[in-house]
Amino acid sequence: MKNDIFNFRRFGKYFATDLRICRANYGLSLMTISLLTPLVLYVIVATINQIMHNTWDGPDIGLRVFAFAVAMICMVVTMPVKCYGKITEKQYGSFWLTLPASRLEKFISMILMTCIIVPVSGALLYLGLDALICAFDHTCGQNLFAGGLDLLQKMGEANEVTLNLIDESITVEDATFAQEIIRQMNNPWMYIDEIFCFTLPFLLGAVFFRNGKTVKTFIALFAISTLTGMIMSPIMTDWALKLVENANDDPMGIFNNMFNNKLFKNLVLIDTVTDTVTNLALMAGIWFRIKTLKH
Amino acid sequence: MITIKDLGFSYGDVPVLKNITMNLEEGRIYGLLGGNGVGKTTLLTLLCGLKKPQLGSIDIDGYAPYDRKPTFLADQYYLSDEVAAMNMKAADYAANYGKFWTGFDMGKFNEVMNVFEVDAQQKMNKMSFGQLKKTYIAFALACNTKYLFMDEPTNGLDIPSKAQFRKAVTRYTREDSVILISTHQVRDLENIIDPIIILDRQDVLLNASVAEVSERLYFDYTSERNPDALYCEMIPGGNIQVYLNQTGEDSKVNLEALFNTVHQHKELIKGIFNK
Repeated sequence: MKNDIFNFRRFGKYFATDLRICRANYGLSLMTISLLTPLVLYVIVATINQIMHNTWDGPDIGLRVFAFAVAMICMVVTMPVKCYGKITEKQYGSFWLTLPASRLEKFISMILMTCIIVPVSGALLYLGLDALICAFDHTCGQNLFAGGLDLLQKMGEANEVTLNLIDESITVEDATFAQEIIRQMNNPWMYIDEIFCFTLPFLLGAVFFRNGKTVKTFIALFAISTLTGMIMSPIMTDWALKLVENANDDPMGIFNNMFNNKLFKNLVLIDTVTDTVTNLALMAGIWFRIKTLKH
Repeated sequence: MITIKDLGFSYGDVPVLKNITMNLEEGRIYGLLGGNGVGKTTLLTLLCGLKKPQLGSIDIDGYAPYDRKPTFLADQYYLSDEVAAMNMKAADYAANYGKFWTGFDMGKFNEVMNVFEVDAQQKMNKMSFGQLKKTYIAFALACNTKYLFMDEPTNGLDIPSKAQFRKAVTRYTREDSVILISTHQVRDLENIIDPIIILDRQDVLLNASVAEVSERLYFDYTSERNPDALYCEMIPGGNIQVYLNQTGEDSKVNLEALFNTVHQHKELIKGIFNK
């Protein structure tokens, strides 16, 4: 146990404790969001359909995807404050800071809980109940889990679809670019870092602000987005204009311009790199906040 | 051993501690006394690593507390004056967190909880402040650490609990431990704290054992007033007076009278005890 930076045994102990504390602090909220949302949605929509159309029809997949997204957003926004927000309070924070685990162990556990354990558990619970509801009432159609798998399969098949378009609408060269973009979009890292990119700001807000954590995080995000928008919008407008240029209002011309544009060709890569850099910056912010936190 | 050297700390432009130098030795229960805002809590939080010294240094067995190294943290415990009401049973809390302190003893935790007459199966967020405080005291003692820092531990405790606290601290701590207890309520800790540290604004007025105090000051409990007394206070049945001990006679040290004497004669007392 002499390693003061990272020790697997100590980390295991800490992570297990963190898991129990999160379950105590957020378990009920997680169950409420994950289990109550699909159930309430089903009951409300089916009741409305019964009253309005005299048929017991459950919510369609579009509405259920929307509700799922809203539930996940609620989870991601509320979880860090409930599980880790207390470390800025003297009562709990003093104890947490002097708990014999290293800063790195506490940091890794925090990231795993916020970005992986809680969202995955919440999503699995939600999808499980959604599947049960769909099995119980076929008017809901396909369950979200099966729908997601279908989407993944279709994305995998997209390459063939692109090849079929050759000679019909796009050139072989354009098809290769399209395939490259599809290949990049099929990279799981793109989605993993999107999830991190969405959850980490709320964790940073929870450990950074002493009060009004969620509201202040939203204000900070709004301010940063506005600033980024102001900087990026002239660049993006210029880029879009270049795509339309020389296309003579021909949609296929714009399409070809897009495929020949360097920025467009690397759009997914740029998105992944930007998200990864943002995540690293957010993690650095969380790390330094933990390092310099005093009571 | 704890070595504090030229320690300085301020909140913005307001200095709280300045040039504090002292050693805290093993096997002692130090009483940290001082008025409001003199920096007792600040000193404790600096010692346990919750704050970073702005000037000078603190060395605890070769560790700088602010580094918050797990090996160091596992041998120290800080009991804050404000405690968190966790959403779990006291026994679960102890079982969950106790394992991080190498010397933690669950049996001892249950024993101290019994001494305090608090049910370990009760949820912490359903406890009264006094019960919660007792749970944390039981946990702190069960951690069996070499360094134990307690900030106003008797605040919120009822009268029987204060006696139970004194009993628990003397009975359930290690022989080689360094215990530092800050308090305003000196009567609560009379008979268990020795040596006594009295902090003043930015300064240590006194850091001496009870024997040293008794050797240099005489505490007179007679009704006859002595004109040479450094401090005199009427108490039921007479007076308590403090004067310089010129005969070498032993007397029972009264912490409240000592505290007031030190405050009224700062330079004289520093001079006497720094000889």
